Amino acid sequence: MQQTLRVNRYDPENPGAAGYQEYTVEVTDTTTILDALLTVREEMDGTLSMRCSCRASICGSCAMRVNGQAKLVCKTRVNSVSPDGATITIDPAGNLPVIKDLVVEFKPFWDKMKAIKPYLLPEGTVPKAEYIASDEDMVHLVGVVNCIQCGACVSDCSVLEVDDSFLGPAALAKAYRFVKDPRDGHQKDRLDALNESSGVWDCTRCMQCVEVCPKDVDPMGRIMLMRDMAMESGFNNTSGSRHTESFAKSVKKNGRLNETKLAVDSMGMFNVPAMLDSAPVGIRAMMKGKFPWKAHKSSEPDKVKRVFEKVEGE
Amino acid sequence: MKYAFYPGCVARGGTPELLVSANAVLDRLGIEREEIVSASCTGAGVLQERNQKLGDTLNVRTFALAEKMGAPIMTLCSTCQGVMSQANRRVLKDPEYLTEINEVLAEEGLEYKGTTVIKHLLWVLVEEIGIEALQKTFTKELSGLNFAPFYGCYIVRPSDALGFDEHPERQTSLETVIESTGATAVENDGKTKCCGLPILLINQSNAIQMVSNHTGEAKDLGADAMVTPCPLCHLNLDGYQPKAAKRRPSGKIDLPILHLPQMLGLAMGMQPKELGLQRHIISTKEVVAKAIAAPAVAVS
Amino acid sequence: MYQHDVLIIGAGLAGLRASVEAARMGVDAAVISKVHPIRSHSNAAQGGINAPMTDRGDDWEGHALDTIKGSDYLADQDAVELMSREAGDAIIELEHMGVIFSRNEDGQLGTRRFGGQKVARTFYVGAITGSAMLQVLYEQAVKLDVNIYEEWFVSNLIIEDGVCHGVMAMNIHTGELHMIRAKAVIMATGGAGRVFEPSTNALICTGEGLGLAYRAGAPLMDMEMIQYHPTTLAGSGILLSEAARGEGAYLLNSEGDRFMKTYAPDYLELASRDVVSRSEQTEINEGRGIDGNVHLDLRHLGRTFIEERLGYLQEVAVEFVGIDLAEAPIPIRPGMHYIMGGIKTNTDGATEVPGLYAAGETANVSVHGGNRLGANSLLDTVVFGRRSAIAAAEYAKNADRHSSDEAMLKSEQQRYQDLMDRPADLRAAAVRRDMGESMVAGVGVFRDQESIDAATQRMKELRAVYPRVAVDNKGKVFNTDLMSAIELDYMLDVAKAVCAGADARKESRGAHFRTDMPNRDDENWLKHTLVYKDGDGSRVETSDVTITDWTPIERVY
Repeated sequence: MQQTLRVNRYDPENPGAAGYQEYTVEVTDTTTILDALLTVREEMDGTLSMRCSCRASICGSCAMRVNGQAKLVCKTRVNSVSPDGATITIDPAGNLPVIKDLVVEFKPFWDKMKAIKPYLLPEGTVPKAEYIASDEDMVHLVGVVNCIQCGACVSDCSVLEVDDSFLGPAALAKAYRFVKDPRDGHQKDRLDALNESSGVWDCTRCMQCVEVCPKDVDPMGRIMLMRDMAMESGFNNTSGSRHTESFAKSVKKNGRLNETKLAVDSMGMFNVPAMLDSAPVGIRAMMKGKFPWKAHKSSEPDKVKRVFEKVEGE
Repeated sequence: MKYAFYPGCVARGGTPELLVSANAVLDRLGIEREEIVSASCTGAGVLQERNQKLGDTLNVRTFALAEKMGAPIMTLCSTCQGVMSQANRRVLKDPEYLTEINEVLAEEGLEYKGTTVIKHLLWVLVEEIGIEALQKTFTKELSGLNFAPFYGCYIVRPSDALGFDEHPERQTSLETVIESTGATAVENDGKTKCCGLPILLINQSNAIQMVSNHTGEAKDLGADAMVTPCPLCHLNLDGYQPKAAKRRPSGKIDLPILHLPQMLGLAMGMQPKELGLQRHIISTKEVVAKAIAAPAVAVS
Repeated sequence: MYQHDVLIIGAGLAGLRASVEAARMGVDAAVISKVHPIRSHSNAAQGGINAPMTDRGDDWEGHALDTIKGSDYLADQDAVELMSREAGDAIIELEHMGVIFSRNEDGQLGTRRFGGQKVARTFYVGAITGSAMLQVLYEQAVKLDVNIYEEWFVSNLIIEDGVCHGVMAMNIHTGELHMIRAKAVIMATGGAGRVFEPSTNALICTGEGLGLAYRAGAPLMDMEMIQYHPTTLAGSGILLSEAARGEGAYLLNSEGDRFMKTYAPDYLELASRDVVSRSEQTEINEGRGIDGNVHLDLRHLGRTFIEERLGYLQEVAVEFVGIDLAEAPIPIRPGMHYIMGGIKTNTDGATEVPGLYAAGETANVSVHGGNRLGANSLLDTVVFGRRSAIAAAEYAKNADRHSSDEAMLKSEQQRYQDLMDRPADLRAAAVRRDMGESMVAGVGVFRDQESIDAATQRMKELRAVYPRVAVDNKGKVFNTDLMSAIELDYMLDVAKAVCAGADARKESRGAHFRTDMPNRDDENWLKHTLVYKDGDGSRVETSDVTITDWTPIERVY
């Protein structure tokens, strides 16, 4: 079969020529996108630059966008993306500056990794042999160690698209690996730092990272667990933690959500500037008949409340 | 078919026009439904971050109530749909976990057996009613109107919880429905991205930038309105658009954000007031006028 | 002008372990790598790392014997002893650094069994042991603020009066060529798998470290010892870890027989790799294969076990060949995987070129001899990576720093320019593929004089056409086309050295199995082959194997 790839080209030495270039290559059922790109580079056009190495989804070099979505191209078969042979568009990974063609500048990615202190910081005396810890406490961390730091999640992160100061899904997943490591002695300091702006509370829960991760690392899930841990460690005075608490309270009380109360609680009763800032929206909404001050309720709020008591009491 | 109707909190709270318009449209379509009145909030992913089992238990309770009614659940909200789909997948994959949850529900005399189907109105339209039947209820041909689809995260991700393998048509269902009215679906980069609402109260600047990017892009592409099956997206994209507009070079956007049933209602020739179209922050006057001026559907 | 006391080329496990040691010693050290450290090929090591832990009843002699037997008595026994003795501390150190090794019920580190050994002494992280270790060593390098030249390509060494004084390297981002002076250089560039086609190795495993050292005058030792891994995928050559068999998977022929009972009645599927690969190839050659493969069967292990302990294997099977290991056996065949041969070093990593050290797969200490045991490569990297850093730092203390020689840099720049100026003719990739396929055909699982001669001849021809290899890309930024052409230059040297070693060794030993000389010949060939550069050609010498406590006997599994 023949397959056409539409590849986004960019050469800083000749920026005027930037744009899409089409290549048509021969493929089979098992040809991966990387195989097809290698055919282009090795047999048709040596000017195409990209990173790739292991061909087996372990080195993390070849994350790029395939038809708009970040993928590790070595483990993406051509026919899984284009069963009907339609042209496939290849772009460099997003949210990082392009160096040339499909190669992006990873420095911001590594800098954020470094920012979370990505190394074990044990406290106390070092044992002579290994640290004793249950396999149960350790083995789930392998799910995070599975991260090959390919940057697919960073490429498609909703928040990074509007705010490059966000630590991002990969660095936060890495942070989780240390926060949850029973050998680490700095859990509280780590959570304290992650509780700052650009940390765990800035995630929008859009699940882009969950969707595109080629190794099922579930960065967003890890971020949510760290929010919970931060609250449990007593870091309650962020708008994020107040938001979650207020949400839970509202549902517990009425069985349903009261958005108005949520807004007041999240911003903090004494956060006058933030309250004033959203006031015009609130007033406009009230005038349009939105934002009822009286909460609507489930017909059986007591039964919902009972579920809360039973599960949370566990 | 009769549905166990689950309008969701926001359709009753922040966007009452959604429930009004949905009821009008569902009546016109002759869809029988009974609301699950004692159902709770899904947790919207927020409760789940504090306690996943709590969120799952609340949702399984709703599934059990629907199972008792012997009807599939119909939702009006991408977020409700996604959160319920994920919860359902988790308990169906792990029978032991379901048993634990059922133990909590036993006090109320409920037990979930795992048979409840959960479908957003959008999917009901495409998969059950069918585009042809839907079109029979239209009196207006909305040709000449350009609608930008905006799905909302939870109805597109994670894809493996949303039955896309079995129902690949779900991935383009919104465009399908838009085009069934005769309107043009405006392809836009933001259509499956995040609207920003979940961080509106945490990092407002980022949330507003998302609104600005998505509505600004759609406007630049010539959209008359944006259409969304998610009231949470609506809240942010509509309510915060005036602020977001300040971040555009022109300082304005003025893109009305229609709930999915509102667009259908316009195609059915309903009055704007019946659809709550006067309740929006961004005026819907222009798009409504265009719809009213649209030609009648040719009777074949 | 850049300068350091110790410069480490390569940022895989050996290079990073060396860098951590140098940093701890307070030496001015730096690492230079053509890829980001995390992308290094050490991440592809799956199954585990061997260590005899004396505190729990294992003894280092047992591991040493298994290693020596596995090597077919070609390993230097003093080096093996050292590795076996240091292994336990190395594992504990890695655990303390943060590696999440699998644990047993008591919360201690757990083990699995690997080939060529009866004792379960392989420590592991699922099927991603190399990746997990690499991440942790990189973390330690970050913690110690190690200076790393990321995405810099070393294309030549600075050799003055036979002494190594640093490297010449291109910053891949800018295309600029620089001299980096160093009192000592540690070569930790990994393997040379891409000299063969197919290979389990990553595309970066082009072996220029071997070529650079060879041209600098260091001998390459036992290059004929090429490991063909028993379980690789047809076509791509992608690896499926020995951990599958370690955890109990079967090898089956077309008749559904566990054929290893014929070849290795005691060890079965867990005989040493050379033995298993030859057995598979024999089955295939004698008509009991399945389309040129045999089957690896994990079904009896059960889905949960497979997904928990061998998750990465399942991922590879599903993604690359669409086979669910819990449901069906997977077709596999022997595939080029590792080079036991390498730059000859002593147990401190020193080569015969003063100032030049080597560690890891690119080096040959020799601890693997004629055949490396599974899970000994990771051990080799950390033990000898550390030792080479200590020795290099010590050497650097007393070494002079030479002033920069601009003429040398100019000549290297000219080499780049010549490649860029060449009119379009041959592509590096086409020559590389020809080389790789000829090497697998000539020096494969089985070889004989005729096949070795054919490969030797083909390498001569390809060397002769190398001056016609041109590059499409005339730009400076991220010019991988140019890099491929330079890599090929060194790969052709490595290929030639493999052929020379294979031609010289007139016996069968370990992975070097000659059908025309099927027996081991301890009388004449208990020797290492050493390939030296000699003018435009090469010469082969031999040296004695160091035998201490273990007398060579017949190898039976």
